[in-house]
Amino acid sequence: MLDIMAQPSVTPAKLLFQQCVAESSTEGNTFNFIRNEISGYLLNKAEPRALRKNVWKKTLASIKSSNRQKRHVITDPFYNNLPVVLQDYLSNKKVKWKNYSDVKVAMLTPSAEGDKLELIHVMPGGSIPQHTHEGKENFLVLHGSYSDEYGEYHEGSVQTRDEDHDHKPVGHQTTGCIGLAYTDGKIKFSGKFSKILNFFTS
Amino acid sequence: MKKTRSKEKNPFIGALDQISKNQDMKSFKMVFDYFGPRLKSFLMSSGAEESVAEEVIQETMTIIWTKADFYNPKLASPSTWIYTIARNKKIDILRKSRKAVLENIDTAILPPVEPKLEEDIEHDQRFEILNKYLDDLPKEQLDLLKMNFIEEKSHGEIAEITKIPLGTIKSRIRLAMEKIRDRIEKDNKSNDPNIKNLGIN
Repeated sequence: MLDIMAQPSVTPAKLLFQQCVAESSTEGNTFNFIRNEISGYLLNKAEPRALRKNVWKKTLASIKSSNRQKRHVITDPFYNNLPVVLQDYLSNKKVKWKNYSDVKVAMLTPSAEGDKLELIHVMPGGSIPQHTHEGKENFLVLHGSYSDEYGEYHEGSVQTRDEDHDHKPVGHQTTGCIGLAYTDGKIKFSGKFSKILNFFTS
Repeated sequence: MKKTRSKEKNPFIGALDQISKNQDMKSFKMVFDYFGPRLKSFLMSSGAEESVAEEVIQETMTIIWTKADFYNPKLASPSTWIYTIARNKKIDILRKSRKAVLENIDTAILPPVEPKLEEDIEHDQRFEILNKYLDDLPKEQLDLLKMNFIEEKSHGEIAEITKIPLGTIKSRIRLAMEKIRDRIEKDNKSNDPNIKNLGIN
């Protein structure tokens, strides 16, 4: 968990993933606090660089024409259990779910970024076909649990997988599993149906 | 009840409060004059061009004005709150499409996972612990954190610049964060009322 939290946030997908890790466990929360406060400390110590004259004028004009904003509240029970930062982020967006037999996947950030953030909903006892990863995937368990050849994973935990991991995750028999997957790179299906599955996700 | 030891209050806490309650322009100018140039330095050091940096600053200041009541000094220091607004804004502006994807979460600073009692928050020394640790760090270590978090350099780039091995860089950053975490947790334990009653400290 520390590795992903020690990295700068450079894309929306990465930032959201880190914020969700921060909301999902005390440890994540503490690391998030630390990394943000380190940055705040460094900002305070930064060498000031003079602004050009029109920045203040533009700022004044901008605040004169601005309104105080309010947060939207969603009442969908599924969304209400997601981390607050994700609820806020999704409040003005439409989520499109892709349905496979045991799993639903929703892409949360625009696809042209080079990394991606997905919400993954594994049905009770459902499984994702055998696969490995091109690049790195960080997976945060938001609800329920899942297991694979390497172990069992519960709410608030983060697993990191790359091309050295070939695995077949199975959702918990009763609760299934909802998780957030942050990936740098693509998933490569490796099992029996790999040709077809790789075609669908490319 | 034990009183908190008096700490020098950060003047920007008061300023943000004045902006939120009274739309105080003098406080706003103070925030702008102090953080504007520092944000410019931080933004340009991570690769933004001058005009982009100033655009981010202008939008950040606007958000500070319109969302000053979202600021909670118990959750973040003023510089951290302002930093995260600018960082999120920068992510949005630098994207090819420039669509404001992050606008709903620009002021999100997260509360602790377990709700704290009011008196625990009074004793919350997280800020002091962190500041003291960073004040005591040797310059090369602080520069490492700066290159990682502010300049957003990859570990490979940092290794090239500092001539420090790649593995060492990664472990130093981790170590700094773990040390701070350990000190915060130790402090939490010594403030835990359950432990206090047992006479353990």
